[in-house]
Amino acid sequence: MIYIIMTVFLWVLGGVVVIIALAFFSYYNRFVSLTNQIENSLSQIDVQLKKRADLVPNLVSSVKGYMKHEKSIIDSVTDARKALVGAKDISGKVRAGDKLQDAIGRLFAIAENYPNLKANENFLQLQQELSAIEDKIAYSRQYYNDGIMSYNNSTTTVPGMWFASLYGFQKKDYLHIPDKQREPVKVEF
Amino acid sequence: MEQARLSFYDEIRKNKIYSVLLMFVVFIILIAIGYAISYAFDPSYLFFILVISIIISILYVWIGYYNSASISLSSVNAKPANPRENRMFYDLVEGLTLASGLPMPKLYIMNNPQINAFASGRDPKNAVVCLTTGALEKLNKQELEGVLSHELSHIANYDIRFMTLAAVLVGMIAIISEMFLRSLWMQSNNSDDNKNGGIFLIIGIVLAILAPILVQLVQLAISRKREFAADASGVRFTRTPTGLINALTKIKSNSEMKVSGAVSPLFLAKPNRAMNLFETHPPIEVRIERLRKM
Repeated sequence: MIYIIMTVFLWVLGGVVVIIALAFFSYYNRFVSLTNQIENSLSQIDVQLKKRADLVPNLVSSVKGYMKHEKSIIDSVTDARKALVGAKDISGKVRAGDKLQDAIGRLFAIAENYPNLKANENFLQLQQELSAIEDKIAYSRQYYNDGIMSYNNSTTTVPGMWFASLYGFQKKDYLHIPDKQREPVKVEF
Repeated sequence: MEQARLSFYDEIRKNKIYSVLLMFVVFIILIAIGYAISYAFDPSYLFFILVISIIISILYVWIGYYNSASISLSSVNAKPANPRENRMFYDLVEGLTLASGLPMPKLYIMNNPQINAFASGRDPKNAVVCLTTGALEKLNKQELEGVLSHELSHIANYDIRFMTLAAVLVGMIAIISEMFLRSLWMQSNNSDDNKNGGIFLIIGIVLAILAPILVQLVQLAISRKREFAADASGVRFTRTPTGLINALTKIKSNSEMKVSGAVSPLFLAKPNRAMNLFETHPPIEVRIERLRKM
């Protein structure tokens, strides 16, 4: 009789040990794959930001001929681009990218006053491409933040939080998505 | 916004659970038939039937599954989309792949004035998305995005693989039932085994006749659930149901499209008319209602 109880007990104990070992492995793997996914989505944002920066010289040269007297806005766009290209870490890049997006937006608003420019094929195509890139950046950030949410969920809920502190995985921050600024645009002639 | 988020995650989870439960029902029916047959006849007979039906249905479906994308594309005469001419199509799908983490599928266009779309492919790496010319002409950017998000969700949820699995099981049950009934017909001259399996024989016959119909109804129910799930998953990517709601509203005034029965379940909205229980798609009004609640 005791023999049976002992055998059952040992089997159950063995099962519990296996499950706990599996938990150690699976939580670690989960944290690592989520971290990798987050890094990957960061590089995706980078790709889109770079595409935007690459289009700026073309944009500037196509508007220069028409907007001869709008030096300040053209300068802000060029400066913002320089800042983006020179940015080192990702939060710097994202902030610089936002500033560039802002400057480009103001440039397009001012361009509304130049009907000849608005009829220019090259300009229209650039406008469309830059608008598409804006959407893609928004989606990349959304995906990045989704990854952060999953990661934070797994590292802060029970029992993940115990494994997380054991392995040294900490909570991560979300990317701040700027609201579209609707301030009146000052047009200088 | 938080509440809206939970709703569509819940919707997705609910539909996936129901799909699995329905598959379970199909399995039970399969086993029930098996038992009935084995009581009525020799168990080795059951083994024989099972092996043959598994081989046939798997072969048949595997070929279809492996080539599902090319089969469905050629049956509707779809042409590859042009990255330059169909810039918006490409941009929208690229944006959605960034939001979903999916690889970029191949894009196609089919010539039809009705608004519709379908996705096919055994996994995200071998996926295709096809739009009708009607969709490209009649939908605006946000509506197109909603439609494309729904299609990408089918790919992301591995719906095509799941529906194929369901088709395999349905096929197997149909073949088993068929073989069982035929063998009864042939064995009716042999009175040896009748004494043993009397009641199970009757159950077996009833099951064999009803089962294929029952499992097809289950398969259609699964198909409808997956459509709801794809609607909800689509919202997860676009973060607003507005685009898809407006697109479905426009689709309500679609007329019939001439497509073969095999391809029609893959479409965004049902291309052909059918009776209610045999619908592959849920009614558009119900879909719009559920989307509004998100």
